[in-house]
Amino acid sequence: MRKKVLIVDDDPDVIMFITSLLESGNYKMIVAKNGEEAMAKVKEDKPDLVILDILMPKESGIRMYRGLKTTEYLKNIPVFIYSGISKRTFLRSQATLAEFGGEAVPEPEAYIEKPGEPEDILDTVRELLYQGSSSS
Amino acid sequence: MEIKKMLFVTEFEELWFDALQSLMDLRKAGLNHVVFLHVIERDKVAMRRGTGYLKSEEVKLKEIANVRFIEWAESLFEKGMECGAYIVVGNLLPRILEVSKEEGVDLIVTGRHKMPKLKSLYADSSTIELLRKTVIPVLVHKYIISSGKINDKPFKRPLLATDWSSPCERAVDLLIALQGVVEKAAVVHVLSEKDIKGLSKMDIQRLHRENRKKLDELCDTLEGEGIDASSHLHIGDTFEQIERTAMEHDASMIIAGTSGKGTWKSRWLGSVSQRLAESSELPTLLVPSKDKDHK
Repeated sequence: MRKKVLIVDDDPDVIMFITSLLESGNYKMIVAKNGEEAMAKVKEDKPDLVILDILMPKESGIRMYRGLKTTEYLKNIPVFIYSGISKRTFLRSQATLAEFGGEAVPEPEAYIEKPGEPEDILDTVRELLYQGSSSS
Repeated sequence: MEIKKMLFVTEFEELWFDALQSLMDLRKAGLNHVVFLHVIERDKVAMRRGTGYLKSEEVKLKEIANVRFIEWAESLFEKGMECGAYIVVGNLLPRILEVSKEEGVDLIVTGRHKMPKLKSLYADSSTIELLRKTVIPVLVHKYIISSGKINDKPFKRPLLATDWSSPCERAVDLLIALQGVVEKAAVVHVLSEKDIKGLSKMDIQRLHRENRKKLDELCDTLEGEGIDASSHLHIGDTFEQIERTAMEHDASMIIAGTSGKGTWKSRWLGSVSQRLAESSELPTLLVPSKDKDHK
């Protein structure tokens, strides 16, 4: 069965870049333009991996990530953050939200700051999709 | 009336990160989400003879804005705030309206957009045009005042100018929502010369007394909500009297209701809202009427 990858980014150029990178992998690619739309697609399509931007309209990747990792039946979906926002800021913002009464969330499974090298992105996707099983 | 979500419209000229920071006091009043909007005017990337559409220029301008927004967003995210950004090509006003509707914001923040006098005869300033088409309060923020002084606490000492209209009632509600941020407020009503034209001395005194009573009642309402307030009643040119009261009160901001309707006369002379937005040194929070054809 084809693995499903949800790409969440408001920049059409980034979506095109990632989809063309992953084309050779025979993945089923789903696209969302913001956190709100992405959460609906996660619930509907149950992707095997979420590639997530942070700074987006409507709902940021920070809120969407929290929603994902604090929902029992979704929290095991691996999240690969691909964003211009630094990992340090991401972790600090999650810590602040936890401090103000939110639930603590784990670190994302992978984090690459834009612009990422195509090979690094591909390797990360393969690793997250096939960790614990033999790579196809 | 709460301000939870704010649209911050910037051209990176007047409204810089420091100006945004000066609005962060609004967190005490419930602000938790900031949406940035940068509009690249179409003529900057438009078709040119021999070059066509300047795609590379668009990419460059978008990237410059993106780098700035990332830096701003990082600072807000680390404070636990929610943040979003739009960088679009188009005309300013329609884009502001689109994004404010899409995001459901409670406040729009813009810089002042002064127009040449000649152009203002046939076209309204974008601020006035915006107020005519939206029900959302608009803050025309002036972070650096012309004397070079910085206004880093705009909500500290607001002056509410009221003409007792329904937009002004909304402005009162908004002021009450700012209760956690305001240190001391002042309220002013100005009787114009038109209001007293042809009235006898007794009638003028009666009018004065009636308005004084309304102002005192308004102050009582504000104090009941925990906002210390003083009242001021003047006769004269509305804009000039509001400005004078603002100076006397050491105001940090002017709040006013606005119908958003402009007559030819007001276009020529400048409506009070327009004059406050464009000419006052103070940030001006304009609250439009709740009922609009275009939302």
